Amino acid sequence: MRSAMVLTLLLSTGVAMAQDPEVQVQNPFQPFDQARFLDEAGEIGATAQQIRQFAVDIEEYGLTTAADMLLRAAVPAFDAAVRLQEDADPAAALELTKVLAAADKSLLRAHVRYHLAEVFLDSDDPEAAVEVLGDYIRSDINHSPLDGEVAFYYAQALAEIPYAELAIPRFRAFLQWFPQASERFRSAAHQQILELERQQESRLHNLADRMKKTRRDLKKKKTNKPIQIEQEKFVEELQELIEMFEEMERQAGGPPSGNGPSANPATQSGLPEGDGSVGQLNNRPTLADRWGDMKDRDREKIEAEVQSGLPPQYRKMLEQYYKRLGTSSDRR
Amino acid sequence: MLKFLQERVNTGTKEFDAKTEADKAVAQAQDEADLLSTRQGRVQGLMRKLATKLNKENHVEEGR
Repeated sequence: MRSAMVLTLLLSTGVAMAQDPEVQVQNPFQPFDQARFLDEAGEIGATAQQIRQFAVDIEEYGLTTAADMLLRAAVPAFDAAVRLQEDADPAAALELTKVLAAADKSLLRAHVRYHLAEVFLDSDDPEAAVEVLGDYIRSDINHSPLDGEVAFYYAQALAEIPYAELAIPRFRAFLQWFPQASERFRSAAHQQILELERQQESRLHNLADRMKKTRRDLKKKKTNKPIQIEQEKFVEELQELIEMFEEMERQAGGPPSGNGPSANPATQSGLPEGDGSVGQLNNRPTLADRWGDMKDRDREKIEAEVQSGLPPQYRKMLEQYYKRLGTSSDRR
Repeated sequence: MLKFLQERVNTGTKEFDAKTEADKAVAQAQDEADLLSTRQGRVQGLMRKLATKLNKENHVEEGR
């Protein structure tokens, strides 16, 4: 399934596969059209009063948050699902997916997918975030002011998997296509490109990336032959590195650097600092914590709803999500 | 040390994989898989630190 996902990434999104710093792929994003957005919000159910409030909210919260607030006000089921997300309630993914499955307008689907991706990223599940953000890019762009952030988070989710070679051109595309995006996101994208390129050049970073993927596989109880072969390769490469360092030591007449404690520990790549422009990302119990704390009957209720209340394509996505959430929760 | 730690994870992976599907389904098996994953993550973290440190030193060398 993972290879199918990569193939999808390579073929279908149309978002920047170019390796050159200047992205050659045609920009599929159009400038945000507020009049169209408001028309579509009206079709979804936003009242005239809610639309007036939107104009006020832009001043106070910024365009993306105000747009999300308008949709939440217009669609109570969406608002209820986002409230669950804000409370780190494990039912959030299910309720958001129910709204997504029932949504017949791209604008609403776009906002629901954005929140679902946040839930997945919050649950250390970048693969699922890539899937849902990929759907957004394929089907729902040019309806919401969230497009820029989605382009950024898509690249970020790829980087977290880690698929550096796919993430770098997408960060570049984000920078090229969204020059007006918040400086916070733009500087984070620049930083990520530098970091990922440096890591790609390094055999050791590459090895660490592959180990990261294996760590995720083991968490999912994937211990089959391909995983074991990959782990054997880790040992072989470590042995080669040891021999290489020993050779360096002999040539330099002293111990190679890198054996002592780090005076300057590794910097960690990550999301831009500060609040996400939509939703709350405060300190709180994680979704996995909450899932683990739930009563069995509440967990079973969610799992039963996943089985019975969703179309097949969403059912599979959530089955995997709750399985991984259960794994994370057990580990705590 | 990294090699030793990785070999330990590899051995654990093979032992886990040798279990029957029924044995893999019990809660205790999940704990074992989580432990393997944590250990793999530890090797990964150390590898990342080493890579970052060596990269920095290389850049300093190149800058001289």
